[in-house]
Amino acid sequence: MKIWSSEHVLEHPWEMVTTAAMQKYPNPMNPRVVGVDVLDRHVDPSRKLHSHRLLSTEWGLPSIVKSTNISFTNMVSVDERLTYKQHPQDPEKTVLTQEAIITVKAVSLSSYLEGLMASSISSNANKGREAMEWVIHKLNTKIEDLAVSARGSIRTPMAAAAALVEKK
Amino acid sequence: MNSVGEACTDMKREYDQCFNRWFAEKFLKGDGSGDPCTDLFKRYQQCVQKAIKEKEIPIEGLEFMGHGKEKPENSS
Repeated sequence: MKIWSSEHVLEHPWEMVTTAAMQKYPNPMNPRVVGVDVLDRHVDPSRKLHSHRLLSTEWGLPSIVKSTNISFTNMVSVDERLTYKQHPQDPEKTVLTQEAIITVKAVSLSSYLEGLMASSISSNANKGREAMEWVIHKLNTKIEDLAVSARGSIRTPMAAAAALVEKK
Repeated sequence: MNSVGEACTDMKREYDQCFNRWFAEKFLKGDGSGDPCTDLFKRYQQCVQKAIKEKEIPIEGLEFMGHGKEKPENSS
């Protein structure tokens, strides 16, 4: 079992970041994500929103794996958790904490394979952050366009929401 | 973005538009009550559940990766 974690500050308020996280796909950094579905969604009594989503991805297993019928899904498990929290010192920023637990259920090579997967997760984490910046930029452009077309009389309501929202 | 079920993509996009609007304009402002998207979600869900069964996607199998803590409810 291998644990990988990293912390990163996004220079955007939490409301923008979570809105972007909900609309993360499609983006040019993650071309392998080909589908996103919501399997369940509800607000619990403590007003926390739960979303259970299914991401459909195309990883393109090499043909040698397909022909020898090895089932990697039973051997490798990666459990990844991303947490976005308002920055404790600056409400205009968000802290992203990423953790991954990697387990390879093979007798030999497991620590080597786990190490490989950790490197892969680490470089993918950079892509993921780029993807978030891309989505945020797109959303901000949309907001600016709306403001211009409304002749600038309406400011984005997101900043005003900051005081009202319970932070996770 | 597409749905796992090809026939569900349009329903998914309609629901997503409704949810994204509610999320930014209501939920993030502290108003989590009322869900204007329930009907859209129901229709979309029926389609997706059918597609998941047809493609034999093992949703229950996701549990082997989880720790069991704070996992959202699985409605399948």
